[in-house]
Amino acid sequence: MNPAERDAGHLELIIGRVLRLGTATSSTCFAAGLSLMILGRGGALARVLLPAGLIILLATPATRVLVSVVEYVRERDWLFVALTLTVLLALAASVWAAFL
Amino acid sequence: MPPLTVSLAFIIFAAGAVAGGLGIALGLGGGILLVPFLTLGLGFPLKSAAAISLTTVIATSSAVAAARAGNQLMNLRLGMLLEVATVAGGLLGGITAQMVAESTLQRIFGFVAIVVAVTMLGRVNRRNVICDANADPGRLGGRFYDAESGCVVTYQVRRLPLALFASFVAGNLSSLLGIGGGVIKVPILNAWCGVPLRAAAATSALMIGVTATGGAIIYYGRGNLQALFAAPAVLGVQLGSWVALHAAEHASVKWLKVLMAAVLIAVAGLMFTRSAGS
Repeated sequence: MNPAERDAGHLELIIGRVLRLGTATSSTCFAAGLSLMILGRGGALARVLLPAGLIILLATPATRVLVSVVEYVRERDWLFVALTLTVLLALAASVWAAFL
Repeated sequence: MPPLTVSLAFIIFAAGAVAGGLGIALGLGGGILLVPFLTLGLGFPLKSAAAISLTTVIATSSAVAAARAGNQLMNLRLGMLLEVATVAGGLLGGITAQMVAESTLQRIFGFVAIVVAVTMLGRVNRRNVICDANADPGRLGGRFYDAESGCVVTYQVRRLPLALFASFVAGNLSSLLGIGGGVIKVPILNAWCGVPLRAAAATSALMIGVTATGGAIIYYGRGNLQALFAAPAVLGVQLGSWVALHAAEHASVKWLKVLMAAVLIAVAGLMFTRSAGS
């Protein structure tokens, strides 16, 4: 295995961890929020938990890209720093397109 | 949009479970099934249905990519490069979706459903591999252990412009219609760009999460996406995909494919009828 492939394996594991954590957190928020609604306690807590779950869900892939940027900087792989930064910028542009 | 009741939450949860399960079993995203159910069955506007479906695409992508991390099937470099094209397409699709009429979206959905039905029935599987762990994968290729060949195999990526173009179109349709887009780029990567089917599918699974995020953010900001409806859909799709991933039986998918193709053709027919009537 050459160094580039070892780095890829390392990045893959970090990405796996970020995605697992993000999915688990957002699903927990969704499940807790929905359970409260179904039990007839759809009060302030449920109204916070459900959007929180959604925002964590949307933030997870973006975090995965951010982590990749950092990792490629660490590896001094500038082409892939530029590519992943472009993806991040496009996501920022969608936030701009969404709220302005 | 229908008001959220407990029974509607259960219906969305169940629909998500069925769509997620079939999606995994057939190698389609669940979105192509969930969107027509929400819009034709439950009366959601197509934009809201697409937005809800995109959240399930993100959840599935994250879960599948997390499970696959470490087995070398995902080609990170190829994925991160093609993501530039899918995200650009997704951004454009998200903005366009706000401007075009519901009936136009229905016609596009109907057309894509037919394309998906045809692709699913006639799916090619080119092996594209060199059974040599020391062969040169090039700048973007990769290698992984292939059980079918019984060795570590190497592949090279060819026709990169085509792969980028397919990714752009997939990203665009993903945002417009609420589908993952894997169903468009995986066959092209496999048939013309030298990527083995399993590597193409794994890489696409990673990419669709980021692609769908751009579109979902736009729908959320424009008020088309409510957490109340996304929550049961996401949980349902996760349950369905989990069950399908752990059900080892893959032998009987042939009749399921024919049935699914029939359903998709029917969906296309209904979408065309709706678009003509509205």
